[in-house]
Amino acid sequence: MKKSRQALCRTIFGLAVIGAFAPAYGQEAADAAALTRPDSTVSLGAGLVTGNERDRSLFGQYNGLRDHRGNLLLDLDYVKRDDASGTWTTFRGRNLGLEIPELSFSLQRQGDWRISGDYSEIVHHEIRTINTGMLGAGTTTPTIVRIAPGGGSDLNFEMKRKAIGLSGDKWITSGLQVEVSFKNEDKDGTRLWGRGYDCAAYVCTGTQNAANTKWAVLMVPEPVRFNMKQIDAKLNFTSEKLFVSGGYYGSFFSNSYGNVAPNVPNQLYGPTGLVATLNPAVAGGTSLQNVLQSPMALPPDNQAHQLYLSGNYAWTQKTRSTFKFAYTHATQDEDFGSMGFTGAPTVLRSSLGGVLNTTLMQFGVTSRPMDKLSLLGNVRYEKKDDKTPIELYNIQNTVRWDNSHISNRKFVGKLEAGYLLPGNVRATVGLDYDRINRELPGLDVTVGGLSGLRGETQETTYRGELRRSISETITGAIGVSHSKRTGSDWYSLSTIPAQGLVYGGLYSRDQIFQRTGTFPYNLADRKRDKVKASADWLPMERLSLQFAAERANDSYDPPSQNGLRKGGMTLLSVDAAYTLSERWKLTGYGSVGEQTMNEADRANYVADTKNRNTAFGIGVSGKPSGVLEVGAGISRVSDITKYALSPDFATSAANVQQNAIGLPDVTFSETRYGLFAKQALSKNSDLRFDLARVISKLEEWSWGYNGVPFVYSDGTTVSLNPHQHVTVGSVRYIYKF
Amino acid sequence: MSSMTRTLLLLLQAFAIAIAGAFFVSDAVAQQQAASARKDLVLTGDAKCTRCHGPDDDFPVLAIGKTKHGTVADGRTPTCTSCHGESESHINKPANATERPGPDRTFTKRSGTPIAERNDACMNCHRRDSTRSHWEGSQHQSRDVACTSCHQVHTQYDRVREKLTQPEVCFTCHKEQRVQVNRPSRHPIPEGKVVCSDCHNPHGSVGPKLVKRDSVNDTCYTCHMEKRGPFVHNHEPVSEDCMNCHNPHGTVVENLLKARPPFLCHQCHTPHGPNVPQLLGRQVVPNSVTTSGKNAVNITMARGCLNCHTEVHGSNNPSTTNPTPQFRLR
Repeated sequence: MKKSRQALCRTIFGLAVIGAFAPAYGQEAADAAALTRPDSTVSLGAGLVTGNERDRSLFGQYNGLRDHRGNLLLDLDYVKRDDASGTWTTFRGRNLGLEIPELSFSLQRQGDWRISGDYSEIVHHEIRTINTGMLGAGTTTPTIVRIAPGGGSDLNFEMKRKAIGLSGDKWITSGLQVEVSFKNEDKDGTRLWGRGYDCAAYVCTGTQNAANTKWAVLMVPEPVRFNMKQIDAKLNFTSEKLFVSGGYYGSFFSNSYGNVAPNVPNQLYGPTGLVATLNPAVAGGTSLQNVLQSPMALPPDNQAHQLYLSGNYAWTQKTRSTFKFAYTHATQDEDFGSMGFTGAPTVLRSSLGGVLNTTLMQFGVTSRPMDKLSLLGNVRYEKKDDKTPIELYNIQNTVRWDNSHISNRKFVGKLEAGYLLPGNVRATVGLDYDRINRELPGLDVTVGGLSGLRGETQETTYRGELRRSISETITGAIGVSHSKRTGSDWYSLSTIPAQGLVYGGLYSRDQIFQRTGTFPYNLADRKRDKVKASADWLPMERLSLQFAAERANDSYDPPSQNGLRKGGMTLLSVDAAYTLSERWKLTGYGSVGEQTMNEADRANYVADTKNRNTAFGIGVSGKPSGVLEVGAGISRVSDITKYALSPDFATSAANVQQNAIGLPDVTFSETRYGLFAKQALSKNSDLRFDLARVISKLEEWSWGYNGVPFVYSDGTTVSLNPHQHVTVGSVRYIYKF
Repeated sequence: MSSMTRTLLLLLQAFAIAIAGAFFVSDAVAQQQAASARKDLVLTGDAKCTRCHGPDDDFPVLAIGKTKHGTVADGRTPTCTSCHGESESHINKPANATERPGPDRTFTKRSGTPIAERNDACMNCHRRDSTRSHWEGSQHQSRDVACTSCHQVHTQYDRVREKLTQPEVCFTCHKEQRVQVNRPSRHPIPEGKVVCSDCHNPHGSVGPKLVKRDSVNDTCYTCHMEKRGPFVHNHEPVSEDCMNCHNPHGTVVENLLKARPPFLCHQCHTPHGPNVPQLLGRQVVPNSVTTSGKNAVNITMARGCLNCHTEVHGSNNPSTTNPTPQFRLR
């Protein structure tokens, strides 16, 4: 009886306690549901941008704010999950009121299947404005019309990409998954392009004088109408130790246009800006006019198919491997006739019949045999086998050349060991090896403007790093590496009139040092040294600092004194974040970088190019009240490139003077000021204001300097507003549901 | 003491023990009942964590419910302890401890948990994902980059998975690229239209620099397929490595070129003619009516060498008419 009463009392007490807490539990559960339910939001507003299109060309080259001053701002995130089944439904829209919208949809039963689709547009506006008399710019048959410089119409070129993606996956069993993705992308627009020709004597007869010119440079825009498709289908198998993914990846390119052939008048501006007749005066035949009107090839259709097997395997808990095998068969067989080329010799194929087979093998092992020791080894071998038929594409009487192969074999190996030393210092040493064997062109291949080639290059890198966690608040690392690239013997290229430039044989050391030509920098001997240090420091609870410093030096040793000789880079940066209070936070960063390059054309100039970049940013954000968030920031990037030209021993007197004049600096800077405020109107809605001022400056000399423009032979000029100021403001209503 | 008294004392002791025991048992039962009455809020078995770590905690863990990790219907989703360990000493502070020990595994910047162990907590599940098959041995893995250095787990919007904010996360370490993407010739990275993970797989790849596909060129071809060729007239450095000439993160030279023509071209090619790069209006010997088309202005200004060598990526023009296109003029 007593026992029963006690139990009853406990029950009553218990019920009372539970009863007392029941509402609280219920309330917590409701709050928890809100806190654990995925959020959905919709944001609707308007934005205004100041200035005209030319004032916004740098600011608006990609962000969709170039064309219009007033813009609709609409973003959407709809995310719902059915908790019982774990099924997600998401719909996302970005920039829906701009010319660069993105839409995506996904339906997923988590852990079982997923289907999704997306659509996006990217527009790139050419930052420069073209003033031209051209008719039909952007077509395959534009008509060049000579105008007085500046007297034409302004054109702003743009390139638009529209992409649709579809993908899905399904777990067939707990260890077997199939994944499929497909992407279709259209790229349409017009690109600033051109053509020029200095008529060789064997093409144009006659002489150049005040009335006649033998050369012309024209702005001929590239008409672009590309389609690209990619499909990736794979089957993934996973078990306790093995993950393997096998599949097919195909990519397909097609171009609606085969060539562009401008209509060119027979009179254009000559070297001094005076109207001159293209030489020879009679159109047709091999005149300059005819050359300039000949079709220019646009990219041909091509496709690639890849089969692959990729994955990892756990030998033990601490020793794992990765692997990949892939075989790619790429072809390019667009019919020359469909591209608009009728000049191919009849003995040749109707298309290139290009075939490029690539075999890739990779195998890696990582192991932690002891807690303090980690080991890594990796090898990668890639063989690119060009099976394109060799034909004599260029036949000029007795002079003939064939097409070239781009076969090569690449081997990359890596060994690395890491050990935890006393003092919580982790030491890592590594050895990298990189070798490329290139197929040297055959005897009938022209290699224009080159002094020599080598078939093999190999680079060995030794590196080491010390990383120390000094305490829970300081982490630091310093790493150094040294690389040395060498290669096989250089082959000379000599001119044989009947056959053009062909391989002559190996260079002797004496010949090499006597060479005055330029040898390709990517084949030249090179030493590269790098040192890199970084530190993360949390000096106090509220402050975090990050430091980084990097220095690299390249020293090239080509067979002559010409070409790229030295390169270097330095970077120093610091980042900081400071929590002023529970409501306010301050962040900032600063960096200084420098890149240098020394290259020479000894008979004419030595160029010491130095690019210096400084950047900083500082921002503050906070919540002055429970319903208001605000923030402000300023950032600046400043970039200057100096081209210091100087003469060398073989430079002529005139060129010594020209070196002294040199080239002006190229400068770019951008300063951004920004403010935002977000006011909570209710539990589910906010109002957000943004205001930004962007000041961009780009001063460079490619298209003109100091009021003297570069003028194409038809009077076309290209210009840019070098000082651009844009203010952009927006207000948005954000609703959460 | 009489036996009666001893018996009475023993009974009293037994009674006292029984009473104390009853209180102890009832308290334990009450605690057990309270714990069992306290429901899991998000994940299976999270009650022992969420009883302290509520929405206003320094670690607002409940938001994990908004994420894929919080989808309980998916039997693969973790519990708190899957990632943080059983953490007994954290839940029941040892009597001799002055401060409550942390969970067995933590993922904050100040965490003492070895990074390999932290990452194992993630990779135990995510290793069976095809995009992470090459995590082991990747630069990030071998440099002890923690998954949580980039990812935020307890939030619906993980900054590194949002296109607009992803670069900021990458720039935490990659400072040089932070500068480069703000140059005028660049991909639309600040606008969030192209992001780091469009080209790189930070979880490991077979290619160099963690590029997404097997090589730099194969990665570039995913968007710039027209450059793949092969062409009748190839330009070998183009097909070998796009980065021989381009810096994909941004430059001050048009088309993301690493250097301005003619300097870029002169790194491989012997210039034609005794030319010093020069500008109109800044010439020692101004153009005359007999100036050649291969003059120094034409190789320096406008598109530089590309004014004539337009088809620099390769030409598929099979023409045999003079001038033949092997110098990529057309």
